[in-house]
Amino acid sequence: MAAHLSQSGHSLVGALTLPTLHRKTLLRKVAQWGPRESARYAWTKLAARENGDRRSVRNPYLEKFLLHNNKTLRNLHEVASAYNFSMLVCRDQNSKEAIAQVEKWAPDAAVFTGGNILRQALLAIPRIGVLNAHLALLPQIRGMSSPEWSLLCDVPLAITIHLMDTGIDTGPVLLQRTFEIPAQCASLTDLRNRMIAAGIEHTPEALAGLEQGSIRPKAQSDLDCDHQYFVTHDWLKTQASARLSAKRAIPAGKAR
Amino acid sequence: MPTPDSAAATPSVAAGPMSNSDQSASSSRRHKLLSEALGIVRKPQRALPLLLAVTGDGLRSRTQSTNLYSYATTSVSTEVALPRVIDWITRAQKPDGGIPAYYSLLTGYSKSYPEVTGYIVPTLYDFLHLAGDTGIKDRAERATRWLLSLQMSNGAFPAGLENDGGEPSIFNTGQMLQGLVRAYRETNQADILLAANRAGNWLAEIQQPDGSWSGAGAYQGVPHTYYSMVAWSLALLAEVSKTGAHARAAERNLAWVLAHMRPNGWIDGINLQGYPTFLHFIAYVIQGVLECGILRGTRDAIRAAQQSAWKLLRKFELQKQLLGAYSGSFDSGMTFSCLTGNAQMSCVWLRLSEVTGDLRFLNAALKMNEMLKELLPAHGRNAGGVAGSHPIWGSYQPMRYISWGCKFLADALMLELRLKRSFEASTCAS
Repeated sequence: MAAHLSQSGHSLVGALTLPTLHRKTLLRKVAQWGPRESARYAWTKLAARENGDRRSVRNPYLEKFLLHNNKTLRNLHEVASAYNFSMLVCRDQNSKEAIAQVEKWAPDAAVFTGGNILRQALLAIPRIGVLNAHLALLPQIRGMSSPEWSLLCDVPLAITIHLMDTGIDTGPVLLQRTFEIPAQCASLTDLRNRMIAAGIEHTPEALAGLEQGSIRPKAQSDLDCDHQYFVTHDWLKTQASARLSAKRAIPAGKAR
Repeated sequence: MPTPDSAAATPSVAAGPMSNSDQSASSSRRHKLLSEALGIVRKPQRALPLLLAVTGDGLRSRTQSTNLYSYATTSVSTEVALPRVIDWITRAQKPDGGIPAYYSLLTGYSKSYPEVTGYIVPTLYDFLHLAGDTGIKDRAERATRWLLSLQMSNGAFPAGLENDGGEPSIFNTGQMLQGLVRAYRETNQADILLAANRAGNWLAEIQQPDGSWSGAGAYQGVPHTYYSMVAWSLALLAEVSKTGAHARAAERNLAWVLAHMRPNGWIDGINLQGYPTFLHFIAYVIQGVLECGILRGTRDAIRAAQQSAWKLLRKFELQKQLLGAYSGSFDSGMTFSCLTGNAQMSCVWLRLSEVTGDLRFLNAALKMNEMLKELLPAHGRNAGGVAGSHPIWGSYQPMRYISWGCKFLADALMLELRLKRSFEASTCAS
């Protein structure tokens, strides 16, 4: 995200990030993926794997954003160094230390790319607000596992760029783009990776629109703040995967 | 186990300032707990299983990390867990057909419990149809015959454990009615329908004009909203008896209970004096309202059940557990889990998913079932048994494996299988 924002002409002042391999994150991954996948995750986080002059990136669709002087930037440290902005590694993005740093940076806008649920103290600092690229239509699918829920509930796949508030995906919408399932989309993981890349692709557009006044934040209608979606059980994930395969088999124009 | 009034219940929790009735309930609980603890002196060989269960739960409580992804993955398949749970029930069943309330790690099996035996009958028939196990049919029929032998001259069934000289009990009669109606549907035997009608007539006759049940046959003499389970049973009976009085009694009680359900999902009028509001009873209200609402086609009832069920779903998804007891508006609770309440909520969520098509209820139930399956002992006398509390020393039925916990978990697992099959079929069809 940071690299693409820089490439789009935005001037980055800083980035807050969580530790590369935090004990709690690793525990969460063990529960989520099991020991083998978690070990692989830990390995990719801790050890850089050289592949010729290109370094592997977990999401292959992000590589195009990470190309810099014929090299692929591998992590936020390298992106910060390449595009000349500072960064702070913090345990919690809502900590006093993190808030003090963001106040010092005094950004016009911030973009959320993952981590803790942000509290009002942090959300209130950027003049324009904090943007988030949500991987589903809002307000239909709020919360976790949103591509899976979109498939299960027969809601068109989409990216929504919205301003964040203290609710879960309840902030005003800036931009929505439906997402066609490419014929080569191999799995739910592949779909998610593609959607993340699409979210990054559209964020500078939303930010520029906000700055120029061509996009006006639109409050979500019929919002029921209590009724979000939660992490899907593996069985439902399998069902979502089956629906993805079925939709992929349908010609692109009829996928929705 | 519907009410804490039987010998089966020994919750060890004091809930706020105590009235005289609270003090007497507390003193009676202390007495029961003490006499139960003496069981280990009488049979010292129970010390090892007790120690293993306590140590196991202690270790699990300390080491398990509940996070966003807890229970999203299957570690014990439902097809493996379900027969284990049913096995626990069939191992416990006595030759005369009665099923004990519990197995205590201190005192062993309890006497047979008529109420639980009654509402286990539909579970046995469901398993018979699912697994085609003909031995189960014989067990369900024996349980029914045993129930019929207990009916009182006025049509009611007694409170308490077998041979405790129990007075007629409204709640227990309602719960046993579920078994009788199902047994009649399965066997078409006239004497079963006659017994069910007599029980239903008694319930309709003693109902208060406002739709509640109180007085001599009600627990502690006061009305309770969890008697919505009785309304459900009457609605079930009305389908086979075709008697308007049964249907009207069900609808009157449903209307009375709905008046106690707040817009925030909390339910007033559970009314257990001297006891905390265990999840078991909260889930009873919701399940009774939902099922009675479905049978009588009352949309308000389904909506009210959905509201309360969602409140608990949200708590489960965000906190990765439901607490064993809650107080006012679900604001606070106790830190142990009431496993039977969890299984009942799973049943409620699954039925809501079936009725409303909202897959979030199915998702939560799948995760809840994972948690419950993980907690089933795999070996030993209590393999497949559902403990009263987790950890096992929690305040709801401490140190016991309870037959109604197994019943509700078996129901939840069978509902899970049914919904999964139906969802897969709909995916294939589309």
